[in-house]
Amino acid sequence: MVKREDTAPFECDALPVYCEAPLAVALAHSEQDVVAAVRLCHEFGVPLVSRGAGTGLSAGAKPIARGLLLVTAPMNRILDLDPQAMTARVQPGVINQQISTAAAPHGLYYAPDPSSQIACSIGGNVAENAGGVHCLKYGVTVQNVLSVRLVSATADNIGEVLTLGGDCLSQPGYDLLALVHGSEGGLGVITEVTVKLTPVPEQTRTLMADFDCVRTAADAVSAIVRAGVIPAALEMMDKLAISATEAFCHAGYNLEAAAIVLIDLDGHPLEVQAELAVVEQVLSESGAAQVRRAADELQRARWWKGRKSAFPAIGRLSPDYYCIDGTVPRHRIGEVLEATARFAEKYSLRVANVFHAGDGNLHPIIMFDGIEPDALERTEKLAADILEYCIAVGGTITGEHGVGLEKINQMAVQFSDAELEQFRAIKRNLDPFELLNPDKQIPTLARCQEYRALRQSGG
Amino acid sequence: MDHASLGNDCSEHFAARVQELYTARGAEQPHLAIGGNGSRVAFGLPADLSLALGEHRGVVDYQPEELTLRARAGTPLSELEVLLAQHNQSFAAEMPQPTTQSTLGGAIATGWDGPGRAFGMSLRDSVLGCRLINGRGEIINFGGQVMKNVAGYDLARLQVGALGTLGAILDVTLRLQPRVEDTASVSFSVNAGALSQWWQRTRSLRPLISGTCYLDGRLYLRISGRAVAVQDLLAQLGGDITGFDWSALANLQLPFFCSERLACVHLPRYAELPVGAGQALVEWEGARVWVREGDHHALSREAARLGGFVQVLRGPAVPSQVDAPGWHRALRNALDPRGLFNPGLFHSRFCTSEGETGREYTGAGR
Repeated sequence: MVKREDTAPFECDALPVYCEAPLAVALAHSEQDVVAAVRLCHEFGVPLVSRGAGTGLSAGAKPIARGLLLVTAPMNRILDLDPQAMTARVQPGVINQQISTAAAPHGLYYAPDPSSQIACSIGGNVAENAGGVHCLKYGVTVQNVLSVRLVSATADNIGEVLTLGGDCLSQPGYDLLALVHGSEGGLGVITEVTVKLTPVPEQTRTLMADFDCVRTAADAVSAIVRAGVIPAALEMMDKLAISATEAFCHAGYNLEAAAIVLIDLDGHPLEVQAELAVVEQVLSESGAAQVRRAADELQRARWWKGRKSAFPAIGRLSPDYYCIDGTVPRHRIGEVLEATARFAEKYSLRVANVFHAGDGNLHPIIMFDGIEPDALERTEKLAADILEYCIAVGGTITGEHGVGLEKINQMAVQFSDAELEQFRAIKRNLDPFELLNPDKQIPTLARCQEYRALRQSGG
Repeated sequence: MDHASLGNDCSEHFAARVQELYTARGAEQPHLAIGGNGSRVAFGLPADLSLALGEHRGVVDYQPEELTLRARAGTPLSELEVLLAQHNQSFAAEMPQPTTQSTLGGAIATGWDGPGRAFGMSLRDSVLGCRLINGRGEIINFGGQVMKNVAGYDLARLQVGALGTLGAILDVTLRLQPRVEDTASVSFSVNAGALSQWWQRTRSLRPLISGTCYLDGRLYLRISGRAVAVQDLLAQLGGDITGFDWSALANLQLPFFCSERLACVHLPRYAELPVGAGQALVEWEGARVWVREGDHHALSREAARLGGFVQVLRGPAVPSQVDAPGWHRALRNALDPRGLFNPGLFHSRFCTSEGETGREYTGAGR
């Protein structure tokens, strides 16, 4: 597709502040299509950006004006599901949720569950190393993938199809599978993924605790883990997020609370029972104003529906919103939330917080109005301040959304020149012609120096 | 942090040595034999070390409430276990310890998992961050101390099993777990032919099952979790309560492992490897089989047919068979451009061999 009306829907991913029309869009229906696209791009010296469903939140799939956008979404078949071996072999365009749906009759599911799981595709999940609500206990994408096939762009064989990993629990040689996870489409184009399936837990129980103070709630999260319990999910929402979601889907949250903590405990029923008792005690000792157990599956589903629809709910309160993704040590969460509130005040912006507290993975959602001339600029400055605070307390600028274009400047803050040069050396060796998603994820030396100078001068 | 005062930081000194070799312009190709303190020769690390990371030791940071530990590569795992036990915690992955002096860095570099791997977290998944010296003598740090981190390429996990060929590991941050409340083992008399049916049954014992081992006609199961649940399951399972030594299995210290030749066969889950009685020890629901006094070349062919591969610990070596040899060369070139670190290992383990070398590995771990 080359006509503007055809390529227009592909000009951005789920971070629409970064937008660009590609030279052309190609829809891949098979691995051969991907190989052909990579070879053609090499032949004509045209960079290639690959994407699946386009639900990414860091502009990692933003097209390049002089490049091809290769969409693997049409490769959407589940090729094989082996209930005995507990694996599923799928094409990259298969939607995350589809795998669990297909595995359900066998008492199995695919554990990583990003909030976008009804729309995001597995190829993108691998490229970004996607997380989700339940990864505290069950791990992120890299822990749940056994092998991938990908089309490589190394100097000796452009368009070679490689299999990384395999059906065994370990593989000979380097852990290339780990390298590919989170490589943001810069090292190869994924054409097939074999995922690990997990038995559906015999029992899941959900607790909700209300707190009068955000700091107290954050400290309770640390206390639960300290007490020797790893919940399947441990999520937190602040007052603004609570009121937005409650208005949106009537989940049954307490509108008076300054923060709520949602907890899933799952596993063997006797273990769940024992851990419920531990967690309830820790919550009340940590100053929870109220602790409730979900009475039945219906109530449990409503509570979680609220959490998972937080983004669209907040979207209704503000013309535009911008979600960020820093991770910090659990015991610093309270401090980072307080700092975020201070920074927000400085830039006259509102921030809602709804996040994976158990992982220390924060998702401040900045609300702004793009029509105001300087609103986006203030938003970006606020985001930069928050991310750099995350680094300062020993955290990272991205837990699960990836660097993409969005956080490329902050890479210069998190990493030293030698570290960034190490990343570049890897990229150069595996993608010597700069074909695959160039100019993202790893900043150039010049860009780093420029950004550091700018920040130092208080800009 | 009081733990930080103990130990010995050799990072600058080691980095200076590597840098010197990197910049050296002599006729001879410089190289370094990197290891910890020589306890993991059977697992592939060199015996005569020119860069012994065992000297670089001590806890850098331990935060029980974060379930993370950062320690220098040369710290013995046995010391770390004592520290963690004081806080009712343990490593999230089992790491073999051939001796009480076996180090954290050696466990990462060799990348071997223990019996719990098939049921819980692998070593590579418990690595959160890693600081290392690259082949240019630069100290670089990847990953972090947080649970989730996708900034840049995952060069911390990449060190697991790389045998030091992608960098000299200085310190590692590991994910921990609350110490399991209760662990018990039961055993059953089982014919080898009935194992595949047993794997159906063990599948349904998740999440409490944490180890399976089939040896000399007996199947041993390890059950771990909250005491109420473990005891309840034991009552349902029947079988004989046993004191089977799972750490001796993890550390390859069972009498079974005392053999001239020893190979480890990795297979897809539930594959069945035909081997003689008394010759094999089956773990991980059939996904890992140890074979003593076997014909390694025949085993290698059989494993390949079943979709697996063989790692030789002692006896005739088999050709290495890595995926994507081009990517291996590219990574080596990116991280160690002059090929300083363990060059012999890089060629024997991470390059596709052209024909068989017939070289014998002789393990000090026997």
